[in-house]
Amino acid sequence: MSKEISFILNGSEVRVAVEGHQRLIDILRGPLGQTGTKEGCGEGECGSCTVIIDGRAVNSCLFPALEAEGKTVITIEGLQETKNELSVIQKSFIEEGAIQCGFCTPGMIMSAKALLDSSPAPSEEEIRDALQGNLCRCTGYVQIIEAVKEAARKLKGKR
Amino acid sequence: MRRFEYYKPSSLEEAWELKAKIPDSLFIAGGTDVLVSIQNDECRPKALISLRSIPGLAGIEAGDVPRIGALTIIGDILQHPELGRRYPILREAAKSLGSVQIRNVATIGGNLCNASPCADMALPLLVLDAKLRLKTPKETREVPISEFFKGPAETCLSPQEIVTDILLEPPQKNMKTCFMKKGRVKMDLAVASVAVLLEMEGKRCRKARIAAGSVAPTPLRLHKVESVLEDAAISSRTVAKAQQLTEDEIVPITDIRSSEEYRRQITGVLVKRALERALEWSQP
Repeated sequence: MSKEISFILNGSEVRVAVEGHQRLIDILRGPLGQTGTKEGCGEGECGSCTVIIDGRAVNSCLFPALEAEGKTVITIEGLQETKNELSVIQKSFIEEGAIQCGFCTPGMIMSAKALLDSSPAPSEEEIRDALQGNLCRCTGYVQIIEAVKEAARKLKGKR
Repeated sequence: MRRFEYYKPSSLEEAWELKAKIPDSLFIAGGTDVLVSIQNDECRPKALISLRSIPGLAGIEAGDVPRIGALTIIGDILQHPELGRRYPILREAAKSLGSVQIRNVATIGGNLCNASPCADMALPLLVLDAKLRLKTPKETREVPISEFFKGPAETCLSPQEIVTDILLEPPQKNMKTCFMKKGRVKMDLAVASVAVLLEMEGKRCRKARIAAGSVAPTPLRLHKVESVLEDAAISSRTVAKAQQLTEDEIVPITDIRSSEEYRRQITGVLVKRALERALEWSQP
């Protein structure tokens, strides 16, 4: 039995038919065609499927799609500030060499965004706590933490 | 994922009706445990009945009659300033539960109803002598959390029963608490965890509550350890005795996360350290 739901995805309202057992990541990557969000472990350990729902970082692999109804969802596709230009956090990840194979990157960046949106000048410990739920199998954690620090500095200059 | 139906009732009555009507249905809160066990084919429900859309089940009242709604997410417990000030041990345990992403979805009621021996929120609630309010269409009852857990993944809940609130006693002025957890990495499930609460009058301990996780079929109160501390002057010798009795009283097993021997030893050490920290003999 499928049900049509609507929610705000990256600033625009979307309508999509959803079945009870589907998870948010299933409809993002499937009918909505937003394949930037990756599925790693599928059980909430690795964080590569992280998206932001109503301002909070969430694992989209453990989020029933029907619960997205009426909510505001941001995925990695929603980050670019103007057309064809990456966001400050994305650029910082590139500049600091924080991307190796890239599979964890969308999730890392969404966790970083949720952190910087609520806490614009985080300490290193706060950054490490915020990224605890994101695994990088290339193990480039130092560069990733540097990238978040750099993004915080640049965003501060922009305010 | 295996197919199932998903319902979002907007009242308890509607939730109970669905539960009675659909065999093999499960109530679900944040779902961070249930969805993983479905994914791993450990359970095969025909339908999930989400309690998230029922008004009034989430929320924190930290005033004279402290109450935490069962559907309150762990992240909100962590960030509630007054609750954290009055019950720092709840914040310590909430901070140790999972990752940011899990804490933004997982609920305190779900953590208890999943009834894992390692449930992080069970330990502070055990030492705080919390009560749970349980509701069926016919009755409302309040049970002490020490009577709630019956075994791994087993509680005293009847099939229709829903945990609606966690009820706390107002904190005592001279109450000293500490939560400690040992995991392989920070966001891991506990290899072992402990919570201690002491009510002190000078050097004498008037009331002691000690609980340990991942060391028995349920989160466990350590009554023998408590009795050594209660009505005693607390010295390094009493603390050493508490450490030794902890090793005797727990019943750990060997599993994927740790061995029986290591758990026995580390839990004793955690009790010692948590007592020292609660008494402010040592710094965090």
